[in-house]
Amino acid sequence: MKEVPLKIEYDGKWVVIKAGVGEDRISFPAPVDTEVLFKSVFNLEEKKNVLVITVKGNPDTIIRIASIEKVLIILKRLILTNCNAYRLMAYFMSPAIRGGVLAKNAQWEKGSIVVVKTGIWFVSAEKQICVPLTDVAAIELTKRDVQGKQTDVVRIDHVESGEVVSSLILCPLSTLQVLTNFLKDATKGINMTGNELDAVAQQVAMLVYSGMDSHAIENMLTIPHKQLDDIYDRIIKLGIAEVITIRREVQLTTKGVRYISDATKNQTNQN
Amino acid sequence: MGTILIVDDTLFMRTLLKNILFSGGHTIAGEATNGEEAVAKYKELKPDLVTMDVVMPKVNGIEALKSIKQLDPAARVIMCTAVGQEQMVKLAIKTGAKGYIVKPFQAPKVLEEVKNVLAT
Repeated sequence: MKEVPLKIEYDGKWVVIKAGVGEDRISFPAPVDTEVLFKSVFNLEEKKNVLVITVKGNPDTIIRIASIEKVLIILKRLILTNCNAYRLMAYFMSPAIRGGVLAKNAQWEKGSIVVVKTGIWFVSAEKQICVPLTDVAAIELTKRDVQGKQTDVVRIDHVESGEVVSSLILCPLSTLQVLTNFLKDATKGINMTGNELDAVAQQVAMLVYSGMDSHAIENMLTIPHKQLDDIYDRIIKLGIAEVITIRREVQLTTKGVRYISDATKNQTNQN
Repeated sequence: MGTILIVDDTLFMRTLLKNILFSGGHTIAGEATNGEEAVAKYKELKPDLVTMDVVMPKVNGIEALKSIKQLDPAARVIMCTAVGQEQMVKLAIKTGAKGYIVKPFQAPKVLEEVKNVLAT
């Protein structure tokens, strides 16, 4: 076993230890005194340089560790290769499209797709990208031009720091179908039939997606504030939008009008 | 900042792009609703950049791009199309498009792409 320095959360505190890492397990010395077989891990998340490892047991154990990037990369690779998850070899392109713009220098990478309890991992020799299932906006079996041939791929749209990012997965069609069904099942609840919104409400949703604010939307669609407010209520109720800011419109009181009049008069006298 | 010709057959998309580009400090040189009109407006307005929808009536975006590149090989054109039609990318890039955006798009990314293409 190789020894690697890391911090582990123990009794609500971060403790610095030297963990032993083997091909199939990691052992944490005192005060943690625990050994984890990678095959018993069924979930792996990465939150701001902290790896959250969930180990099957009764009850399940959640281990939080932090370390330098080099160590985390090795740990993630070992866990994702050996853990209890849906795993397939595939080519992937992530990100392929970001905010509607094709990612520059995007290329197919050979690696694997690992679906754990709360996320999808894209793993190659160079990359380890995690997309939380809660951030997945769409999953679609579609076709793309790959080396001049129309080829079946799975497109996964996900939200990353407010941007919509699309990733593509390429592998044999039968595997893609299984993957699509598996992912759709894992993310059920995000699908809509498309009949829930009328044309204007769809345009509003599209404009919100594009980053337009309420004022711009009212002007572009020439709709009154009340109508936009009603549409907002509907899309919020459907769970496809959320309130981020409540902006107020005000008008001056008599006192305010007097203040402005006086201020203007003073300015005029000064000039 | 540059002068931009927006080519799209739907008023909604033209208005959206106009708003996005205007908010980024660009000047809208003009608008066209099909490829034929786009080529005529390009000759007339000589914009710094064109955003060109791919699927349009009369003359499509790829044909219009070819005509514009014949008129002006240095023309900067960003192609714009719907999700699922990205296979047109290779054809458009081969024809001389400088960039490509996929609908639906997000304003900051469109402005970034426009900035990159204007810098070429």
